[in-house]
Amino acid sequence: MSLLEVTGLNSYYGDSHILFDIDLRVEANEVVALIGRNGAGKSTTLKSLMGMVQPRSGEIRLEGENVAGRKAHVIARRGIQLVPEERRVFGSLDVEENIVLARLTASSAWPLERIYEIFPRLAERRSSRGTDLSGGEQQMLAIARALVRDPKIVLLDEPFEGLAPVIVQDLMRVCRRLVEEGQTIVLVEQNIAATLSLADRAYVINNGHVVHEDTTSAIRAQPEILRRYLGV
Amino acid sequence: MLTWANLVSQMFNGLVLGALLALISSGLTIIYGTLGVLNLAHGALFMLGGYAGWLTFDYTGSYIAAVAGGALFVLLVGIVIERGIIRFFYDRPHEDQILVTFGIGIVIVELVRLSFGSLSLSVTPPSLISGITNLGFVIYPTYRLAVVAIVAVALLALYLVLYRTRLGMIVRAGIEDAGMVDALGINVYRVFMVVFGIGAMAAGFAGIVNAPVAPITPDVGTEILVQTFVVVVIGGVGSFPGAILGGLIAGEILSLTSMINPAYSQVMLFAVMTLVLVVSPHGLLGVRGRQ
Amino acid sequence: MARRTIASRAWWPDVVTALGLFVAPYVLPALGFSPDTMSRILIFGLFGIGFDLLFGFTGMLSFGQSAFFGTGGFAAAYLLTQTGMTSVILALVIGTVVAAIVGVGVGLIALRRTGIYFAMITVAIAEVFYFLDMSPLSAFTGGENGLPGVPSPTFYLGFATIHIEAGWSMYAFLAVCFLIGMVLARRIIASPVGLVLVAIRDNQLRAAAVGHHVDRYKLLVFTIAAAYAGMAGGLLGVLQSYMPPDAFAFDTSGQLVMQTVIGGLGTLFGPLVGAAVWLYLRDFLQSTLALGAAWKLALGIVFVLLVCFLRRGIIGGFADLAGYFRSRGSSAAPDGEREPESAGMAPTSAGAAAVGEPVPEPAEPIEHGDPILRTENISKRYGGLLANDSIDFTVREGELRGIIGPNGAGKSTFFKMLTCEVAPSSGRILFHDQDITGFGVTRVAQLGLTKSYQVNQLFNRLTVRDNLAIAAAAERRGPFRMDLLRSVRRVDGLQARVDETLGLVNLAHRADALVSELAYGEKRRLEIGLALATAPSLLLLDEPLAGMSPQERVETIRLLRSIRKGRTMVVIDHDMDAIFNLAERITVLQEGRVLVEGTPQEIRDNTAVQEAYLGGMEEA
Repeated sequence: MSLLEVTGLNSYYGDSHILFDIDLRVEANEVVALIGRNGAGKSTTLKSLMGMVQPRSGEIRLEGENVAGRKAHVIARRGIQLVPEERRVFGSLDVEENIVLARLTASSAWPLERIYEIFPRLAERRSSRGTDLSGGEQQMLAIARALVRDPKIVLLDEPFEGLAPVIVQDLMRVCRRLVEEGQTIVLVEQNIAATLSLADRAYVINNGHVVHEDTTSAIRAQPEILRRYLGV
Repeated sequence: MLTWANLVSQMFNGLVLGALLALISSGLTIIYGTLGVLNLAHGALFMLGGYAGWLTFDYTGSYIAAVAGGALFVLLVGIVIERGIIRFFYDRPHEDQILVTFGIGIVIVELVRLSFGSLSLSVTPPSLISGITNLGFVIYPTYRLAVVAIVAVALLALYLVLYRTRLGMIVRAGIEDAGMVDALGINVYRVFMVVFGIGAMAAGFAGIVNAPVAPITPDVGTEILVQTFVVVVIGGVGSFPGAILGGLIAGEILSLTSMINPAYSQVMLFAVMTLVLVVSPHGLLGVRGRQ
Repeated sequence: MARRTIASRAWWPDVVTALGLFVAPYVLPALGFSPDTMSRILIFGLFGIGFDLLFGFTGMLSFGQSAFFGTGGFAAAYLLTQTGMTSVILALVIGTVVAAIVGVGVGLIALRRTGIYFAMITVAIAEVFYFLDMSPLSAFTGGENGLPGVPSPTFYLGFATIHIEAGWSMYAFLAVCFLIGMVLARRIIASPVGLVLVAIRDNQLRAAAVGHHVDRYKLLVFTIAAAYAGMAGGLLGVLQSYMPPDAFAFDTSGQLVMQTVIGGLGTLFGPLVGAAVWLYLRDFLQSTLALGAAWKLALGIVFVLLVCFLRRGIIGGFADLAGYFRSRGSSAAPDGEREPESAGMAPTSAGAAAVGEPVPEPAEPIEHGDPILRTENISKRYGGLLANDSIDFTVREGELRGIIGPNGAGKSTFFKMLTCEVAPSSGRILFHDQDITGFGVTRVAQLGLTKSYQVNQLFNRLTVRDNLAIAAAAERRGPFRMDLLRSVRRVDGLQARVDETLGLVNLAHRADALVSELAYGEKRRLEIGLALATAPSLLLLDEPLAGMSPQERVETIRLLRSIRKGRTMVVIDHDMDAIFNLAERITVLQEGRVLVEGTPQEIRDNTAVQEAYLGGMEEA
């Protein structure tokens, strides 16, 4: 039994059909990437897994139990955690409050020290309000907020978007460390080089359909696939 | 008569009224900020607090019990209203929410009228805080001074709940982004219920505290509701500090204008609201988050 | 008003209304209605017509209508009791005009905000009028005493003189007033203005984007509602021979809102029905059942239940019931996407290369005309983020241009600046050599530049035909016009434009369907149709293929090709295959700048573009 198994997932925004019969599988300790052009449906897939978009049909089995159609807080308590593309840090709360809030309902939360050890920058800024953080710090906080709940799966949506190269390097280091510690991750990221170096397997999504699935090493060996679905 | 003492005592009156308005408006504004619902039953809840408190007072003869009884009863009523009706309106248009809370307000007022009649009732405060106090420069009713203190304590308590507790943290986060709070494993809908209850309680508490100052009648809520709206428009919808600032400004405008000519106090209040709308459409301390 | 279409200006409802008003005195007294009660019902019915125009049709919930009710009432009563004016009709008309003028003033303040702010501000304003009436103006209004001694009208007909007195002659007089008010309101609703009002209710953003001056229409309807209130207030004084100060009370506004919602919003007759229920229950519960004050409680409960479960009120409830029985008769409604041409079009497997047909390379870029749209060095800054950086961009007449770019390239910001949804932080935008920087969507739409939205922005409660008529009317009539009594049908060239657009977007067979009944693909086509119906000289399409299934994509691409003739279009989409098939020239944006511009082939071959899209694949 896979940790996460998605079958026949269909999602809509209003009446606009975004995802068509998506099938995905994520094993424990695995890093899976979703790649595809802008607007292909990658973010919607992550939001559907989190329950922030209610799928219209299909199953999302987490450790065998179907969580499709459940509210986001229920899914969060089962162990899925999304780091959203827009980060959505609470600007009126300070850094520490953001993290404390996130761990309130976690069954096995990390101690704050562990977060601050991974993100020393956040420790320095623990009493700054969310609105006063730089983009990179906000991204760190968004990731910290997810990690502190000790989730079974972290969904990372465009963690490097719009960040300076130095910060991306920093975050890459954090991601590599998480991977080494066996954290299961589903990653969506435009930076293909980074994505392929982090992930074990990848699904290619195009216009709301899964059109290809392979290990990242295999995909790297066939650049024409990337050219076809990502290039012009 | 424009004398110095008169001016000072009017300013005190303004402070009393302003403090009450600040408390009631805080309730309205945190409900709107968190749930996105404009509660037109808020005036009725203020009135209900007065009656529930009076009933407790009638049984126990204790002012303290009356305040506790009034506030807690309205808290309960608020929770029942949220669970029973309001929660089905989160996904409906603002206009529907306004209509349904307006209707709820009418039902509450008429239920009270039916049970208590239209006669006005009053509550006597304990002797410790009744009578008059000589402040040196002016002689002033002790209870009114006490009201300012009591409301200040209530506002402080509300502030502490909002800014120093976990619940408050969730509420502040929820005002900003309820969806993300949900995604962090917190059942926001339960939080909504608590917030509606607390907001209602703020109105009910003000209702019973005000009872010794002004007699309780079933219709006392309407005027308060209108003034609360003005306060919130001046201060900025959804802003707790805005509600307090707006309340104090409104209280002073009302009472200082009445010193010159009582007939113009409401008009003046409205003129200030218009001015604020023209100069700063989101209110003095408004946030652009909602809407 | 489930299926209003442009043509709905039937005369029979007016006749039925007249007949009903004529027959009522023979029927209703048997149910316990007195002439006085019936007269009051008419006054609140008339008062409510204006409110229904405001709330039911335009979507603006005001709790301040008592201000105008009182103003009109006291103006008329003052003239009749204090100035020696003898013509009751003249006084009523003046009262109405005064209320309308006050309405303009109040509207200018209250309309600064929408939604809940609007509701709160109207409440506050109404209270101010109450206090003004009570004392600062008590020399004119009698303060708490009101104005007694308002005379009834007398009509000299040459051969006879009619004195209106309490009782049935008063009822007849009020019935005539109500009828006139109703006929006028029905004309307004069937006029182009009425069409714009429902457009504002359904989707204010789009109403403005197709070129209607929304703020002015809102002020207009607010003023009309104030005028109705003023007339009704004047009539109240005449009916009672006394103008009561509580006309100004908040309760009066509240009663009006409740009666209208109980009767049914957006029906014009709702307030009349609601007032009948209200006053009947009051009399019946109070006197017959001796329930005393409980009548208002009962009404409050009824009101809450209606808002919860039967939002369209009593009339709406009956209409739904009738519709239910009708639809049981003929069950099979035409189902969405069945078009002859799409029949043989098999969807390509799993989204890959969604554009089925291999299209010949678009013809060599034709020599196009003069520049139609030009941006000079435009930039957009959001706080610290530079979303668009000094973009120079030119589109020539007759061109079909595609815009692509990886995530975060600033495409949507750029598009928003072109349609003047957001103003650039610096630089100029020229359309037909006119500087349109900072014009706003309505003005540029009037100049002939409009866009279709990425997320459908339709008028959901209306038919396809009315949707297109709203857009076409903006171009035919200009941004604002007070043709209140003209039929939509009579608007020059409107019908032809609507029919032509229906054909273009292939929705002629669905013209009378409500938007809510359309399939998604049909809605997308209507979305494009709304833009086309304004006859734009430049059409911007924001992700026209968003959210479509493979076969819908194929159909929409075909549609875009077919409307392309004689038009200038700019298209943004994520579906790269579609853009490469469709566009003659493509502009690639990256990080807020123009990376390169060229023919599809040039873009494909460009290494910088490959690099931008594959996002540093070669990098470590």
